[in-house]
Amino acid sequence: MSSKGPNKLVPLDQLAELVPDGSLIGLGGAWLSNHPMAAVRQLVRDGVKDLHPAETMGSMDIDLLVGAGLVRGVTFGMVSLEAFGLAPHFRRAVQEGEIKITEMSGLALNFAFEAGARTLPYLPMPGLGLSEIPKRQPNWYAEINDPFTGADLLAVKALVPDVAIVHASRASARGDCQYDGPMAIDPEVARSSRKVVVTCEEIVSDDVIEGSPHMTKIPGFLVHAVIEAPFGAHPFTHVPRYGLDAWELRDYAAVAADPVAWPEYLQQIVDETEEEYRDRVLPRERRRVIENLARASRTLKAEEGNK
Amino acid sequence: MKYRIDELMICRIAREVDESGVTVLGSFTPMAYASYMLAKLTHAPDAPLIGYNAIDMPPVELSLTGSEAAAYRGARAHWSFIDSTSTVHLGARGLVECVSPAQMDGTGAFNTSVIGPYEHPKVRLPGGTGSPEVVQNYEKVIAYFGTHTKRGLVEKVDFATGGRYPVSAEARQKRGLLVGPVWIITPLTVLIKDSDEEGFRIESLHPGVSVEEVVENTGFPLVVPEQIPETSVPTEIQLQLLREQIDPFGTSRFDFLAARERTKYIDDILEREWSRAEAMSDA
Repeated sequence: MSSKGPNKLVPLDQLAELVPDGSLIGLGGAWLSNHPMAAVRQLVRDGVKDLHPAETMGSMDIDLLVGAGLVRGVTFGMVSLEAFGLAPHFRRAVQEGEIKITEMSGLALNFAFEAGARTLPYLPMPGLGLSEIPKRQPNWYAEINDPFTGADLLAVKALVPDVAIVHASRASARGDCQYDGPMAIDPEVARSSRKVVVTCEEIVSDDVIEGSPHMTKIPGFLVHAVIEAPFGAHPFTHVPRYGLDAWELRDYAAVAADPVAWPEYLQQIVDETEEEYRDRVLPRERRRVIENLARASRTLKAEEGNK
Repeated sequence: MKYRIDELMICRIAREVDESGVTVLGSFTPMAYASYMLAKLTHAPDAPLIGYNAIDMPPVELSLTGSEAAAYRGARAHWSFIDSTSTVHLGARGLVECVSPAQMDGTGAFNTSVIGPYEHPKVRLPGGTGSPEVVQNYEKVIAYFGTHTKRGLVEKVDFATGGRYPVSAEARQKRGLLVGPVWIITPLTVLIKDSDEEGFRIESLHPGVSVEEVVENTGFPLVVPEQIPETSVPTEIQLQLLREQIDPFGTSRFDFLAARERTKYIDDILEREWSRAEAMSDA
């Protein structure tokens, strides 16, 4: 495969060398979409500890890291399994005071990343009405005045993760990342971070990137390492390649809430490679179903008689 | 045709969606998703809708596993989340926002963060992500509840994740904010707040519901007008679209189930979704 510029390809099992203990990690994905789960599973295998994930809309990615005992704090707008319930480990750890949380409103957290990306100390935004979040987080929100009109505004402090971890549809060896579907706020998380690690569904040649530069959302000069990880968002979606493995997420919600079953579940992930994980959790028929789900839901059309 | 109460609520919410502004699928509010799809299939086909990173997405069939994939198909643009939130939420282009909080009080403050004290919560909830900003900046805010009880409609929220202030038209205009009310829609009634001087008042009662029933089950004082209209009931076409096209799996009923019913309900939906996807392999 021809590649221009530096070759940044590394195998998944070298992730721990890129993410030191204690890192503030900006995680990609949002909703039940495209969280960088292959990388998260690898962090669990390697026992990278004292992590502080930051994510506007986190889910099982944060919950699994908390459940593995690898998290000291979380900066978040939301941590949810949506239809599959509250995130069991996140919920328990906060209730029992095991982890320090920084709860932020979603746009403010997006702006914190954006300010970090611009090396600005903060970005201004309008006030939040009755929300008590700004008062709860005086290290991140401050009341300021518009220097031109004097109007009340909020300042949101810049957030600069040590490492961004995001999952792309495809990437070149030099790190150019393309997204076919859900990019969440991956580009901003990548732009704000000191180091950017990308996992992707497939590695492609420079010709592919140069033939479709409009698809590139994170250019290679921002990226430090590229890791090939097919089904790297599983059990979350990576549209249009696969839909939600809701069965896996449902089973996770149950096992994560069960202190007896949890250690075995965790040990299994630790003991297997990512390739073994794929073979175990996604046998051929299941893989096909998950892929079909990305095509199964229909788009609808308004018809004249409907009004 | 016989309708369910969740269908009546969906149709009531759909009425607020028109083609004048942008509506965004919030985080896991399946009943609201059904309302938005219904609006696009009936009176507001050109209402711009954003779901995930899919800008001006088509109306889609709702499911637990594939709605997102459908949203990207036929969307007019793909934007990063920060582009869509900056442009819509903060760009005075947002029309309708629905929230589904654990608690709401008479000031319009809502709670999706904690039950109990913030530092030592009894239950840590998911958090509100962008809802504090959205509720403050959109034209219309709708909070919906699957049950109407004093546990949800409380005297004072345990924590205000967000809440619109000011609400009065003049005060909002002065600050350059879009003008519109806050509604609460429950299986009993529609409540509305459009002024900072007054609390929520009963806008309409669903068929067969009395004022007393609403007042007794609400944890904050209500303004009760002398004449209260009945909430409109769904039409046959609306019910057909909801059941056959928009939500054939019944995902939007989720908010109306007790916690112990949910597991079975999800299992049933997933079994049907699996079968359909599996059959695609055979085809």
